[in-house]
Amino acid sequence: MPLFLTQLKFELLKMFARKRTYIGFAAFLLMECVILMICNLRGPQMALRRLIEQNGYGADEYFSGFTLALMIVHWTSTLLGSLYLALIAGDLMAKEVEDGTMRMLLCRPISRLRVTTLKYLSSIVYTFVLIAFIGLTAMLAGLAYRAPGGLFVYFPEDHVFALIAPERALRMYLLGMPLLALSMVSISSIGFLFSCCNMKPAAASIVTLSVIFVDFIFHGIPYFESLKVFFINTHLTAWVQLYQAHPPIWKMAEDYCYLLGLDFTCLIVGSAIFLQRDLK
Amino acid sequence: MIRLDRISKTFGTRPALHELSLDIPQGRIFGLLGHNGAGKSTTFGMILGQVHPTTGTAYIRDISVQDHRMRALQGVGAIFETPAFYDYLSGWTNLRILTSYTRRLPDAELRETVNFVGLEKRIHDPVRVYSHGMRQRLALAQALLPRPELVLLDEPAEGLDPEGIHEMRHLILRLNRERGMTVILSSHLLAEVEQLCDCIAVLNQGRMIFHGNWTDLKAESVRYELDLEPWDSAAALIAARTDCSLTPDRMLTIAPSHDVADVVAALVNAGIKVRAVSPVRQTLEQVYLELVGTPRETVTQ
Repeated sequence: MPLFLTQLKFELLKMFARKRTYIGFAAFLLMECVILMICNLRGPQMALRRLIEQNGYGADEYFSGFTLALMIVHWTSTLLGSLYLALIAGDLMAKEVEDGTMRMLLCRPISRLRVTTLKYLSSIVYTFVLIAFIGLTAMLAGLAYRAPGGLFVYFPEDHVFALIAPERALRMYLLGMPLLALSMVSISSIGFLFSCCNMKPAAASIVTLSVIFVDFIFHGIPYFESLKVFFINTHLTAWVQLYQAHPPIWKMAEDYCYLLGLDFTCLIVGSAIFLQRDLK
Repeated sequence: MIRLDRISKTFGTRPALHELSLDIPQGRIFGLLGHNGAGKSTTFGMILGQVHPTTGTAYIRDISVQDHRMRALQGVGAIFETPAFYDYLSGWTNLRILTSYTRRLPDAELRETVNFVGLEKRIHDPVRVYSHGMRQRLALAQALLPRPELVLLDEPAEGLDPEGIHEMRHLILRLNRERGMTVILSSHLLAEVEQLCDCIAVLNQGRMIFHGNWTDLKAESVRYELDLEPWDSAAALIAARTDCSLTPDRMLTIAPSHDVADVVAALVNAGIKVRAVSPVRQTLEQVYLELVGTPRETVTQ
């Protein structure tokens, strides 16, 4: 076990020692600033205030730093999260094979299954670190602009409309982050699967994004309403259900079981593909 | 030490290796030769379990690589033609990462190996600033950690300058003589293989065409290149003798247990001007080219 943890540590070192990892983080910061600027515009501000006041609540109390932060997290993860995780996950195995370091690594008495497991775990850690970064920076940005207060949650596509009292806002905001990370792990998992195949890192990332995008499109077509349960995007947004007045725990558990099953399948199938490959 | 048991590999419809059987004894420096695409890297790949054979099995210390890869690779180190590292990390960190896939090693052991390959002054620099020679030395360092019994070297001198080639050769010899390591070497530099290995295997189009001591293939007769005049008179005199003969390319072949001095004396006594008599040493390159069926040119020592 200690050797496994040492190996995992080095996988994370390989990942976080690259400068381009931090370029990605900078991109997220930039996106957060852009979203903050949009929220600062008169039109969106007024629309948000109207929404809150129409339901009999004080806009000043619920148009708070936490509300802004949650909006920033939602939009950033939606617009950039999938893209960036697909890039990182697509690189996981394929980049090392392309660079030749995988051959160096497999000269060692280490099983290919351990290599894939270590890589997969490092992608999970990375996903959680990325979401934690987004959550923390969004919260700081939101609180720098607006005072702490209640949490107003409005995600119409997921039928979520909630106003959370100020004393619970921080806790609920923070609770949502690990759930969001758990959802995003599925994108990393799909990227990992394609990364194990005999393809270039860029191809693995593109195929991953294509799968997510096609899934998103089909998910939105009314004709496939009856098949919605099979689409990944149906379950990816399970984390926002946490903010319902009465969170549908069983529905959320079902969604996460689907996602975890998908993650596990990607790990097993990806590993099986990699185990059979000739590295030459 | 290493045994390949009728190992074959087909990539799609292209046969890369056909029923290769090989036994490499412990403690030797063994050369694996062949043209580009002969199957050398594929053979290395199958020994290391990175390429799955279509048929057959590779054994290291009688342990099947295909069935028990992790156990078989204990005590094995390898270096590839183009060693690849994490360029954004230091040489030291690269060694730490690669060796962590074997077992934890104390810093002292890493330092000892780094000193052995001569990288102690630059080991903490990022690999991206290393020269090709330094990368090769780093590759050798990772292959030597932790103390393997067997080292596979795929083109270790590739891209090195003459000093680097000389250094690499001496490092390999030290590994074999001081540490008793078995070394399997694949190289296109036949002059290097000639200095390092006496036991070789030659692959041609995926098949082994020779396995054994290449010196056994050297011509038994000693040959000499002649510079004399007039040639026709000399040729007639040599043709009349029984202890020597002329080859079509004007080489004098002396039969075993006879002396070239006797022939030279006879030529001089017949009034033929003998300007030079140069012994011709048959090199590994000539032996190799003969094996693969390419016409050779002689090399004068």
